[in-house]
Amino acid sequence: MRTVNLESQKNGTMSKAKEKSAKKRVVEEDDDQLPIFDKDVTEKKAGEEDDADLSDSEESVFSGLEDSESDSHDEEEDAEEGDDEEDDDDAVILDEILTKSSGVETATEPPATDKNTPTDIRNTVGNIPMEWYQDYPHIGYNLDGKKIFKPIRNKDELDEFLDKMENPDYWRTVHDKTTASDIRLSDEQVDLVHRLQKGQFGDVNFNEYEPSVDFFTNEVMIHPVTNRPQDKRSFIPSLIEKEKVSKLVHAIKMGWIKPRKPKETTPQYYDLWAKEDPNAILGRHKMHVPAPKMRLPGHEESYNPPPEYLLTEEERMAWEQQDAEDRKLPFLPQKHSCLRAVPAFSRFIHERFERCLDLYLCPRQRKMRVNVNPEDLIPKLPKPKDLQPFPTTMSLVYIGHSSLVRSISASPTGQWLVSGSDDCTVRFWEVNTGRCMKTLEVGGAVKSVAWNPNPAVCLVAVCFESTVLLLNPGLGDRLVVSSTDQLITSYEPPEEDKEQAVTWALSEGPEHDNGHRLTLTHPKAVKQVVWHGKGDYLASVMPDNSSNLQVLIHQVSKRRTQNPFRKNKGLVQCVSFHPLRPYFFVATQRYVRVYNLIKQELTKKLMTNCKWISSMAIHPGGDNLICGSYDCRLAWFDLDLSTKPYKMLRHHKKALRGVAYHKHYPLFASGADDGSVIICHGMVYNDLLQNPLIVPVKVLKGHQITHDLGVLDVTFHPTQPWVFSSGADATIRLFT
Amino acid sequence: MSQLQTRFFTDNKKYSVDDVPFSIPAASEVQELSNVINKLLEAKNGSHSQIEFDFLVRGQFLRTSLSNHMEAEGISTEDVVEIEYVERFTAPQPEECMMHDDWISSVEADSEWILTGSYDKTARIWSLEGKAVMTVAGHTDVVKDVAWVRRDGLTSLLLTASLDQTILLWEWNSERNKLKARHCCRGHAGSVDTIATDPTRTKVTGEEEEVEEPPSRPRKKQKTEQLGLTRTPLMTLSGHNEAVSSVLWLDSEEICSASWDHTIRLWDAETGSVKTTLTGSKVFNHISYSPLCRRLASGSTDRHVRLWDPRSKDGSLVLLSLTSHSGWVTAVKWAPSHEHQLVSGSLDNLVKLWDTRSCKTPLYDVSAHEDKVLCVDWTDSRVRHQDNNTHLACINQQHTSSLY
Repeated sequence: MRTVNLESQKNGTMSKAKEKSAKKRVVEEDDDQLPIFDKDVTEKKAGEEDDADLSDSEESVFSGLEDSESDSHDEEEDAEEGDDEEDDDDAVILDEILTKSSGVETATEPPATDKNTPTDIRNTVGNIPMEWYQDYPHIGYNLDGKKIFKPIRNKDELDEFLDKMENPDYWRTVHDKTTASDIRLSDEQVDLVHRLQKGQFGDVNFNEYEPSVDFFTNEVMIHPVTNRPQDKRSFIPSLIEKEKVSKLVHAIKMGWIKPRKPKETTPQYYDLWAKEDPNAILGRHKMHVPAPKMRLPGHEESYNPPPEYLLTEEERMAWEQQDAEDRKLPFLPQKHSCLRAVPAFSRFIHERFERCLDLYLCPRQRKMRVNVNPEDLIPKLPKPKDLQPFPTTMSLVYIGHSSLVRSISASPTGQWLVSGSDDCTVRFWEVNTGRCMKTLEVGGAVKSVAWNPNPAVCLVAVCFESTVLLLNPGLGDRLVVSSTDQLITSYEPPEEDKEQAVTWALSEGPEHDNGHRLTLTHPKAVKQVVWHGKGDYLASVMPDNSSNLQVLIHQVSKRRTQNPFRKNKGLVQCVSFHPLRPYFFVATQRYVRVYNLIKQELTKKLMTNCKWISSMAIHPGGDNLICGSYDCRLAWFDLDLSTKPYKMLRHHKKALRGVAYHKHYPLFASGADDGSVIICHGMVYNDLLQNPLIVPVKVLKGHQITHDLGVLDVTFHPTQPWVFSSGADATIRLFT
Repeated sequence: MSQLQTRFFTDNKKYSVDDVPFSIPAASEVQELSNVINKLLEAKNGSHSQIEFDFLVRGQFLRTSLSNHMEAEGISTEDVVEIEYVERFTAPQPEECMMHDDWISSVEADSEWILTGSYDKTARIWSLEGKAVMTVAGHTDVVKDVAWVRRDGLTSLLLTASLDQTILLWEWNSERNKLKARHCCRGHAGSVDTIATDPTRTKVTGEEEEVEEPPSRPRKKQKTEQLGLTRTPLMTLSGHNEAVSSVLWLDSEEICSASWDHTIRLWDAETGSVKTTLTGSKVFNHISYSPLCRRLASGSTDRHVRLWDPRSKDGSLVLLSLTSHSGWVTAVKWAPSHEHQLVSGSLDNLVKLWDTRSCKTPLYDVSAHEDKVLCVDWTDSRVRHQDNNTHLACINQQHTSSLY
């Protein structure tokens, strides 16, 4: 650009430049004298000035060779050179003002100038790029359609410089591109420029801080702002509006639009993720599991670890001996004198690979943990206090025996209690006072006693060694006692005497006075004796693993004995009669077999899952059975349900010795070697669909443990919810 | 310390004080109140000697401090508190100890003599001084209950009931100390555990504790005095399902019986029908009736002494439970001359003297017995207790009947 400019400048002639500068000098001299001249002079001067302008404009005809760009550039340069303080922005403003001022000038001055100068130098080409006139001698047309010629002479740098140096009005001289003339700004114009530069209004008289009058306030004034009377149309109902309203009314009547639509109560915003599937791919973000973090390096990783982290020779040996997986550290801590001496980490690839494996194989999903309230897993059982009555406290202690009491039995009326002990005595007790009414010496340690359940017969079966003794205690109703004696004496031996396994002997003399009635001498030691519910049959158990003669059933009225089993099925522990039907229960070490006595066949074989059965009791309803075992378990069988235990109770700490059912109340008790009796509520329902309800209700303690034996036998009172227990501490206790 | 406005009054004219309100410290207890009364009495009567008093606030004995008591009873402390005071019932002191060879099953006392039944198959007559006067031997089994029937001058009629299912009526001349068995009453099918004579002293009720052939219907029999050696029951009251443990006459028309089947039944003596049934939750051991306060006291196989109103129409309403024993209550007896006092004996070896106005704690515990207390009785204001004292060291059992 610059080069173009220079070339264009070269187009001008240097001689003309000299002339021009000379002429300028003259003008400047005139200007200098300006303030001194009179008015006339100033008028004259104005005329001269106009001439000068003219001449300038004429000069600009010659400068038509210059392109507008170079002009503008020159102008900028001029501005920079002439007034260092002005910025580029100022130059732009100046430019704008120039165009304006030229406008102003043209608008205001023409009448004045018309008088002096007939020519109006305003260019009529409009706002076009002036380079279009670059190749012409003129740069447009004036109002008369005459060409405006470029100034003949082109101002070169030197002229410019001289002008700058000598022309005192140089700073207020502006080059007009459209007319290619220099315009000297008047004082008002300069003032306007200054005002605009300061950001003030161009009009001097404009007061920007006039007090504001608040006409239209929000306050209701008592006087109207305007007092214009209201229009006539305000009083005439609008036909158009009436039409519109009637249309709406019609639409409402027809139900096309519904007035007062109920507001939507649904929230405007909704949870975008509310229904998101947690297992969806996006859902995984919520279940984000951060990758396992690497352990931060410790002292042993240091290039210069403290001496305690360095391995000794033995440790190093041990480390090398160890399997790579067992090593505590995967590397050997090493000491280097300086960080520079540290070699490359040989295991780097290996370690990175392991880290990648860690990241790749680590679990990235949270394990779904099932939150189960442990309370919910406990079956809903009724509270023990709702299951009253059951024995809760120890009421009476029957003291008298001197050795452990093996067996007890209550009379069917509940007034008496019989007990057999290892001190070779059988004692009869009054239940409600604890008074020992009778003591009978027998010839050996009493293993088992059983009161005849028939209230019309007063007989007690006692077994010791190999003898079963039937006693008449002589307690209770005299009539019953005497009828029992009569029953025994009324026996008539059959014609043909059959060989029996046991010998029946009638007691006489002093033994008879003691109450002994019949003695059954067995071939082996008898362990248990049990009555049938009717009171005529009696079963005795002689445990022996090697023969089939283990269980004998006796009939008292006919003094007959039979061995119901031909085969030995195991060591018999205890036997029991079914309370209602002709069934017979035999408990061996691990199984309970149920035999039908009429059909003479095995009906059921119950698997107890116990190691060694100790005792057994049949529910008075006959469909349920409990088994106590030496391995601390109590098994409840529902005979209708299965041959496996319906429920196993492991409440006792030690071996169970005795179990018992209550005749009327839904109770059963178990006594064990830990010296406690546990009372359980065992409700059996008539409804076959409902399983028995078993709730442990009470632990009764009172017996002392003697020789590792606690409670040996338990039995219930026949009518009251009371339980008797006999223990190894030679006492019998009544819990009510 | 806060003060309470109190006014003292008493029924006993001898100890009455002026009817003016006094300001008493709220924390004062029986001893302080007693001192106050004594001071007042001394001021009134110079020759007054120190007497222990007990205090009743709205019919309840004061046992704690006055403020605590009123807070517990919900009595306003704003008003003037009316406090009744009575002479303190003095603690029973053992007077005599009558040694028996065996357990004593029953005791009955009248104004001169004490009759005891024992497990050694005899009954004994003792003087009030504790001297054995007569031994009544005739039963073949344990004597379970005894009763005085009538006394005409020196001749007395007495009854003994035994386990051998008989009741023997004896005539005893105290001057000549001669005893004659007059009648033997049979009819029970079990041991006769309890007998009672009616207020007119003409009829006897015996109780059996055995089940009859008609399924579990023990019976109660009533006998009259007739000539002849053997008597049969005049009437059988059957209805109890289990053994009858105690029987008594409410008046000459009504009989009350308690049984092991958890019921107390009231019978009409004329027709032999059940009038009312009171149902409890435990086996009844013993009942007693006080004509003074018309209450029935029962001792059962738990720790409570319960008071019943036999006339209440709504059946089984326990009026009051007296709880302090730790074993079965085997015997209860109302005081013959005091409407609030009763005595109870229990298997925990204690005899307790109760006042129904102090239901939380007994008046006195009598812990002289070393073994189970089986029966108690009063003579006038003196209490008699039977028990079985067992000295474990010796085989022979010593048994006492103590007179307090």
